[in-house]
Amino acid sequence: MALRSINLPGIGTKYELVTDKDDTIAIFFLKNGNIQMYTLPHDEHTPCVAELTTAEARRLGTIMTGAIMEADKESVEIAFSALSDLRISIHTYVIGKAMAGRCIEDLQIRAKTGVTIIAVSRGDKNIVNPPPSFMFQEGDAVVAIGETDQLKTFERECMVG
Amino acid sequence: MEGLIIALFVCLVLLIITKSFSWPVIPFYIIAGIALGVSGLNIVQVSESSTFFSELGLIFLLFFMGLEIKPDRILSNQKTFFSSGLIDLNINMVIGFLAAYIIGFTLTESLVIAAAFFISSTAMTVASLVENKKLMMRESETIVWMMVFEDIVLIIFLTLLSTSINNPLGFIAKIAVILLAFYLIAHFGKKLIRKAINRDDELPVFLTFAAVVIIAFGSKAIGVPETLMVIAFGTALASTDAAAFEAQARPFKDVFLIIFFVFFGISVDFTGGVPVLLIVALSILAIISKLVSGLLIGKVVHGSKRSGIEIWANTIGRGEFSIALAALYGSPIVSSAIAAMVIITSIVGSFTAKYSEPLQDLFARSRKRKTDRLPAENSETIP
Repeated sequence: MALRSINLPGIGTKYELVTDKDDTIAIFFLKNGNIQMYTLPHDEHTPCVAELTTAEARRLGTIMTGAIMEADKESVEIAFSALSDLRISIHTYVIGKAMAGRCIEDLQIRAKTGVTIIAVSRGDKNIVNPPPSFMFQEGDAVVAIGETDQLKTFERECMVG
Repeated sequence: MEGLIIALFVCLVLLIITKSFSWPVIPFYIIAGIALGVSGLNIVQVSESSTFFSELGLIFLLFFMGLEIKPDRILSNQKTFFSSGLIDLNINMVIGFLAAYIIGFTLTESLVIAAAFFISSTAMTVASLVENKKLMMRESETIVWMMVFEDIVLIIFLTLLSTSINNPLGFIAKIAVILLAFYLIAHFGKKLIRKAINRDDELPVFLTFAAVVIIAFGSKAIGVPETLMVIAFGTALASTDAAAFEAQARPFKDVFLIIFFVFFGISVDFTGGVPVLLIVALSILAIISKLVSGLLIGKVVHGSKRSGIEIWANTIGRGEFSIALAALYGSPIVSSAIAAMVIITSIVGSFTAKYSEPLQDLFARSRKRKTDRLPAENSETIP
């Protein structure tokens, strides 16, 4: 994959990407705020073009990062492309023996891993924003939010613990 | 004042019509101006207020051009930039100059015509590349760099034309001091300027307007060419936050430039025995000479004459800069020649830009026929 970008005076910024299969995609951020996207298959001479507004481009972008719905059933990653590509993952876990009977405060989840528990589902009851004194029980489903790396740490440090 | 009202109304109608068909609008302003002015119905006269507005249009056009000039970008594209630019310059300047001189213009007049003949309209070219969705073509980049090269030639040209005065030393000293001041302001005031231009109150827009107008009319007052100073000011500010300044200056440029175009048309005088045929011939030559330079650039830069046709098709239209040269340095007859050239080339150019592909095919076919014919003739002679 070869990516190159260039600033064209009077027009805007051009990004050109040649894929491994030799197809070319060129994206132009125009001065008027719109975006033109060209795709050129390797065996063709005339490209196809679509002109997008900023909002449309952002939507397309999120679809292409696969962020809106990461197929993995227990986690969702949300990307905010306007905020310098901020990515947040939301993951669900089922509490095992290691964490049962302890509360959020003495596990020091946020201090140790950076992850925040934002909801707990116990039986048919949901607790949103559980307090630090909240005591986990085996079989609780928890929703944790953080960066992918932080969630990995959480899995390693707390879940197995 | 009634004149200005009529002119503004006509421009508004023209703008709405041309935009809905995505035609180039500059030639229509000039045609409308000619129809309203001295050469036509003579219902609108140039007035003090129209001259002032036109001057603002010119100043903001040049300021905007200055903002776009970023030396570091040019240096990263040296090869294409110089080879395409120099071919474009040499062929068109020489043909334009010789043609004008042979027709019977004086030396200075011929120089002004040659420059106007050479310089394509950046505005029309860029708009047609975007609107005809041609940005991905490899020729597009070459075309864009050609436009930048032309802008720089224009600056050099303006410098040469304005330094021909009695006290060159004092004049150059004055310019040097002002340029140094611009540089120092942009360099040491960078943070402050960036902060000011990005506020969300009325400060950025007024700062832009006032600074440009003060520099332009201030330069005039102390006897320094305002055109150059405004460009230099733009280039200096480009190192602070070019995009923000462009956003603020754009409305002024857009509005006053329309007034500039229409009143240029109004002031054009075709009544004083202008050799219309010769002027039309000059305009047609302007199209042909860009074909010659385009083919050569296509061959040198992209190794293909087809690319040359594409380059030609997109750079035929002369526009804002040619008119600016005419308004600044043209005698009445030079102005009418340039006006005709802008009208003819820009209308032809808008069609060639739209239909460049069939043009290329036509070109390729005609070449093929030629090469086909050669062996055919040979085979006839062999038996």
